[in-house]
Amino acid sequence: MIKLLGAVLILFAGTMIGFQQAARLAARPRQLRQLAHALQRLETEIGYGHTPLPEALDRTADAVPEPLAELFRDAAERVRGPEGLTFRESWEQAMTSGWGSTALRQTEQSVLLRLGSTLGISDKEDQLKHIHLALLQLKAEEDAAREDQSRYEKMWKSLGVLIAVLVVILMV
Amino acid sequence: MNMDVSAIFQIAGIGIIIGMIHTVLKQMGKEDMAQWVTLIGFVVVLFMVIRLLNDLFQEIKTIFLFQ
Repeated sequence: MIKLLGAVLILFAGTMIGFQQAARLAARPRQLRQLAHALQRLETEIGYGHTPLPEALDRTADAVPEPLAELFRDAAERVRGPEGLTFRESWEQAMTSGWGSTALRQTEQSVLLRLGSTLGISDKEDQLKHIHLALLQLKAEEDAAREDQSRYEKMWKSLGVLIAVLVVILMV
Repeated sequence: MNMDVSAIFQIAGIGIIIGMIHTVLKQMGKEDMAQWVTLIGFVVVLFMVIRLLNDLFQEIKTIFLFQ
């Protein structure tokens, strides 16, 4: 009886692990697209609105859904904070501290960090060009992520169940 | 006797599951991982067979060498 219960629990856990990995793979292209939308919003704020950078970050945060909005809001908070950080420092701190809650990877982080080192220190056209560059790189990443999703999503789903069954058989 | 039958079924189950994992990994273009999985499954089954063979030889020793 207890053996059966343990087997069912292991099966359930393996299936859930597989589905969670698949969901993570599915979340990455979606978040990349949201990030691209956010950067376009930021581009609009800088290019047409001439909004000060922390406020532009806040408005960008309002325009995107949650795990990414937190990054932008955190960066804006840190700029306004009492430590008197430069924009680049606060941007880097926000990106590194909040990164774990997103499904994004190292390459996107380096793209954003490079963008952060150029925002707010030069004229409008230069910043717009850098945002465009980051958008292009994110677009390429999104295509690669979509391909990964179509390839590996099904694999994780079946692999989780199969490995759970294998563990159950080995332990019986 | 009962133990033997369950061990055979266990080995058969491992074979089926390893085969399915191999197929899934190969379909997704990870041939090297698929080969490793098959190799590890083979080693695990080999250890189980060796344990059974050890039992068999112990039996034979006790029968023929009168220990």
